[in-house]
Amino acid sequence: MEQTRSANLLLALVFLMVIAVEPILQLTHDLRKGATPLAFGVFSRTPSATNLRAFEETLRDQSILANTVRPYVQYWRYASMGDLGRNGVLGREDWLFYRPGIQFLVEPWGDIEATEPLTAIVSFRDQLRAQGIELLVVVVPGKESVHPEYITTRAPRFSGSHVTDFVDDLRELEVEAMYLRPDEAQRVGPPKYLKQDTHWTPGYAQECANLVAARALALGWIELGSAAYGTQSKPVQRHGDILRMAKSQPLLESIHKEKFEAIQVTEPDSLEHYKDSPDASVLVLGDSFLRIFERDEPGSAGFVSHLARALQQPVTSLINDGGASTLVRMELRRKPELLRGKKLVIWEFVDRDLRFGMEGWQEIEIPAPN
Amino acid sequence: MVFSSHIFIYYFLPLVIAIYYLLPWKRNLFLLAASYVFYGWSDPRLVALMLAATVANYACGLVISSPDATQSRRKAALIVSIVASLSLLGFFKYFTFAGQNLSGLLELLGSSPLPIVEIALPAGISFYTFQSLSYTIDLYRKDARPARSFTDFACFVALFPQLIAGPIVRYNTVAEQLVHREHKVENFASGVALFILGFAKKVLIANEIGQAADAAFAAESPTAMDAWFGVTAYAFQIYFDFSAYSDMAVGLGRMFGFEFLKNFDAPYRAESITEFWRRWHISLSTFLRDYLYVPLGGNRRGARRTYINLAIVMLLGGLWHGANWTFVAWGGFHGCLLAWERWMGKESLYAKLPRPVRVGFTFVLVLFSWVLFRSETFGDASAYLSAMFGMLPQASGTPLLGALLYTPTNIGAMVICEVLVLSPIQAHDWVERITVQRAVLVLLVFLYALATMTAQSFNPFLYFQF
Repeated sequence: MEQTRSANLLLALVFLMVIAVEPILQLTHDLRKGATPLAFGVFSRTPSATNLRAFEETLRDQSILANTVRPYVQYWRYASMGDLGRNGVLGREDWLFYRPGIQFLVEPWGDIEATEPLTAIVSFRDQLRAQGIELLVVVVPGKESVHPEYITTRAPRFSGSHVTDFVDDLRELEVEAMYLRPDEAQRVGPPKYLKQDTHWTPGYAQECANLVAARALALGWIELGSAAYGTQSKPVQRHGDILRMAKSQPLLESIHKEKFEAIQVTEPDSLEHYKDSPDASVLVLGDSFLRIFERDEPGSAGFVSHLARALQQPVTSLINDGGASTLVRMELRRKPELLRGKKLVIWEFVDRDLRFGMEGWQEIEIPAPN
Repeated sequence: MVFSSHIFIYYFLPLVIAIYYLLPWKRNLFLLAASYVFYGWSDPRLVALMLAATVANYACGLVISSPDATQSRRKAALIVSIVASLSLLGFFKYFTFAGQNLSGLLELLGSSPLPIVEIALPAGISFYTFQSLSYTIDLYRKDARPARSFTDFACFVALFPQLIAGPIVRYNTVAEQLVHREHKVENFASGVALFILGFAKKVLIANEIGQAADAAFAAESPTAMDAWFGVTAYAFQIYFDFSAYSDMAVGLGRMFGFEFLKNFDAPYRAESITEFWRRWHISLSTFLRDYLYVPLGGNRRGARRTYINLAIVMLLGGLWHGANWTFVAWGGFHGCLLAWERWMGKESLYAKLPRPVRVGFTFVLVLFSWVLFRSETFGDASAYLSAMFGMLPQASGTPLLGALLYTPTNIGAMVICEVLVLSPIQAHDWVERITVQRAVLVLLVFLYALATMTAQSFNPFLYFQF
C-alpha cells in the first residue's frame, strides 16, 4: 500500500515536472536573450484561426527543447530502424530515396496531373510566343523513376510511363518537350543519380545539358555561339539532400559524405568559373536540378554551365528550389526584364512536380519587358 | 487543440492544472473557460455556436425539469431540444452532402445541377450535440436531476478532455461529479498514467502505422499482400488513434476529479460482431442503444422488427460518422452482420468453432468493413477490395509500394499492435494499481513519446473529422 502511494506521488510529480520544464526553459532562454517570451506571442495578434495556428507552429518550431532533442531522435530512428523521417526512404545498398518521388510512381495518375500542368504550360508558351520567344519544356525524371532497382529488386527497369504520355500530350498541343529519361544505351555505366541525394550526378547533368542544347540547336531556335569554354575537374564531397532533410547533425556525422568528380566550366581563355549573362539569348527556368553543382559546391559544374558550354554562349538562369511548377514563373513575373532579348526559354521541372509542385500549376500572366 | 501537440502538453495542460488546483472555488467556471479556449483554438467563432447550443438545451432542460410544467409542455420542450440539436448537426454535417445528392438526382432527371455550398464541419459537433441531447432526454425520462447552474451544464457540454472526440459522456453519469468530486493523488496518478499510455499509443503507434495505411490506400494498384497489410495497418491505426484519444480523455478527466466510462475494451479480441460492438466505441453504441434502439422497440416486437431496428440504428450510426454513402454502407454492413448473428443464435455451428478461429473470422469481417469506412467512394472501396483478392491489374509502380509499406518501423509497429490488441490486459486495467515499477515504466514511455513527437509533423486524431 505504501509502495503504491509513493508510486502515485512519484508519477504525478515527475509528470508535472516534465510538462512544466519546457515552458520554463523557453521562458528563461528568451529572457536571457532579452527577447519577448515566445509564449507571449499569442497576445500580439488578433486570435483568429490562422493567427493561432501560426502561433502554435512558432511555439513548436522555435522550441529550444524540441530543437535540441529532435536531431538525436532522428539519429536514433535512423540507426535503429533505418527511418529517415517524413521525406526519406532507405533503399537497397544504402541508396536513399525521396518519399514523394515514390508516391508519385505508386499513386494513380489523376485528372489534376493531366490537365492543370498542360493548361499552365500552353498558356506560358502562348505568352512567350506573343513576345517572339520559343519555349522548350524539359521534364527531368525523378531519381525513383530512373533507379527503381535500388528501391526493390522487383522493380521494373524504368517507372514513369504516365510522364511519357504527358510529354506526348504536350507535343500534340505543339509544345516542344523532352523527357530526359535515360535510354537503354545510357543506362549502361555508372548511376545517373547520387546515392544520398534526390538529384542527378554531375555527369548525367552534363549529358542532359548536351541533349537539350542539341535539341535547341536542331530546332533552329538558337544558333551555335562562338565562346570556347574550358573545363576543369573538381573533386566534391557532400552529404545528400535526403540526409540533410532529416535535420540531424548526429545523423550526418554518422554517415560518410558521398564523393564524386564534377567538371567545372571555365570562361574562355581564363580559369574563372562560368557566369550567367543577363543579355543572353536563352533563359533557363527551373528548380534545384539547375542549382546543384551550379550554385552549390563546386559551382559552375551543373546543368546551366554545361548547357552554356554546349551552346557556346552564356545563358541566363532563374532557379527556385522545388518551385518550378509555378513559383519560378511568379518570380519571372516580378523580373520581366529577364526576358529582354531572349529567343528561347528552357523550362525545366522534375516529373513528380506534376503532382506535388509547390503552389500547383497556376496560370501566370508574364508582362512584356519594358 | 490536439492532445498530442506541443502547445497542449507544454503550455495548456500545465497552466490549466496549476490554476485549477490553486483555485479554492469556481473550479467549474474555470474549467468552462479553459474548455472554450481549447475548443476555440481551431476557430474562435465556433465557441459562439457551442454556446448557442448550450443555452438552447439548458433552457429546454429548465422547462422539462420545472415542477410546474405539464406533460405536454415537457414533451414540447424535449422536441424543441431534439429538433434544435439535430438541426444544428444536420446543417453543419449533412447540408453539403444533401445538396450534392439532390444535385446529382436533378442531373439524372435532366435538370441543371444545383450550386453546392461547402460548409466546414465544426470539430466535435457530433459529440457535444449527443451529449447535450442526453441531458434533456434524461431529464424528460427523469433519469437525471437538472444541472445546479448554467455553468455546471455548460461545463459538462464543453469539458475539454472529451469534447472533440468523445467518449460521449451522458449527463447522468457525471451529474454528481459536477457538484462534488474528490481530488486524490491516486486518481490523479492513475489519470496521468492513462493519459501517458494514450499519448504513447497515438504518437508511437497510430502515427507510425498510419503511414503504411495511407500509402496502401493511396496506391493505384496494390498487390493482395499490400492491400491486406494496408487494411490491417488501418484497423490498428483507427483503433490506436481513437482509443488513444479516449484514454487521454479519461486520464485527463481523472486529473480533474471526473470519472468517465471507458470507451474501448479490447475490440479486436471480440468473437463476434455483436461482441465487437460491446467493445468498440462503447459510449456511442450504448447511446444509440438507449436513445434509439430501445425507443424503437428494441427486440421486444418480434424478430422481424428487431432486424429492422438493428438496421436503422447501424445505418444512422454509420451516417453519424460522416456525410458519405460509404459510412452508411459501413453501418449497413455491420447491421446485416448483427442481424445475421442474431438469426443464427447461440447454438449455431459458428459458435462451436474454437475461439481463435472466431476471433480471427470476426477480425477479417471488421477489416472488410474498414475498407468501406476508409474509402471516399464506392469505386475506391471496390478497387481496394478487388486488390485484396488479387484482382486488380498491376501498374508499373506497384512493386515500389513495398518500399513504403514493409519498412522496419512499420513491421515493428504491426507486431507491437498485434501483441497489444490481443492482450487481455488493457490500459484501463493496468493503471488501476500504480507500483513504483509501473510509474517508472510509464514515465520512460512518456519521455520517449515526447521525444518522438518532436520529430513528427502535425497529426490530428482521425475522429476529429467525425
